[in-house]
Amino acid sequence: MASKPSPDFLAILRTLLRHRVDCIVVGGVCAALHGATITTFDLDVVHSRAPENLANLQKALKDLDARYRTPGNQDRRPALSHLSSPGHQLLMTNAGPLDLLGAIGEGHTYEDLIKETIELDAGRGLIVRVLGLAALIRIKEETAQEKDRAQLAILRRTLEEKSRR
Amino acid sequence: MKRKAQTKSSRVSKKSRKTTPALPSEPTYSPDSVDLTLIRWMLSLTPAERLQVLQNNVRSILRLRGEQTES
Repeated sequence: MASKPSPDFLAILRTLLRHRVDCIVVGGVCAALHGATITTFDLDVVHSRAPENLANLQKALKDLDARYRTPGNQDRRPALSHLSSPGHQLLMTNAGPLDLLGAIGEGHTYEDLIKETIELDAGRGLIVRVLGLAALIRIKEETAQEKDRAQLAILRRTLEEKSRR
Repeated sequence: MKRKAQTKSSRVSKKSRKTTPALPSEPTYSPDSVDLTLIRWMLSLTPAERLQVLQNNVRSILRLRGEQTES
């Protein structure tokens, strides 16, 4: 990890999908895909913690050369026990930062969220599953921190503008 | 007092020249100061184009920060 990779969200998503990883894009990239004027530097996904999916996820992470980006852990790769937990794995990959979230908000898992997702074409035929905008707002409201409050205003206005169309 | 009022008025008109004219039914800003023109512009794009905008924004910011990045 000598150089700092410029975030390439599409490259990370492509790798996850190539390995058939079941995951939902949330956070800033999800917001931007919905049309919100939000900038982010990392890709946040909630992954399925089903055993088969974790095996696929590990293969994808190997391809991405994923390691923890938290201080003191930069040489460590995420273990299966970490990926199967509801915790947040903050990783650096060869295509930029990736946050793998076992659960978000007040404990919402992949299985909880799947019914509130839609599929979008993220470019070059890459179909990604993203959390619906209304659900993204609701979950951000549950645990809103200072930075989330500023984003919430933008997300709410984006939803309003979308519903007017 | 009159002069002060004129100054303020000229400042407002300068600012309004910078902003995109909006139809009365389409305000430029929301009550909580969100720029709605940018949101409308983003909504006019496809999801793939929106992702490209985000990607370009991130690269531009990193370049402005002077960070070495791989492209």
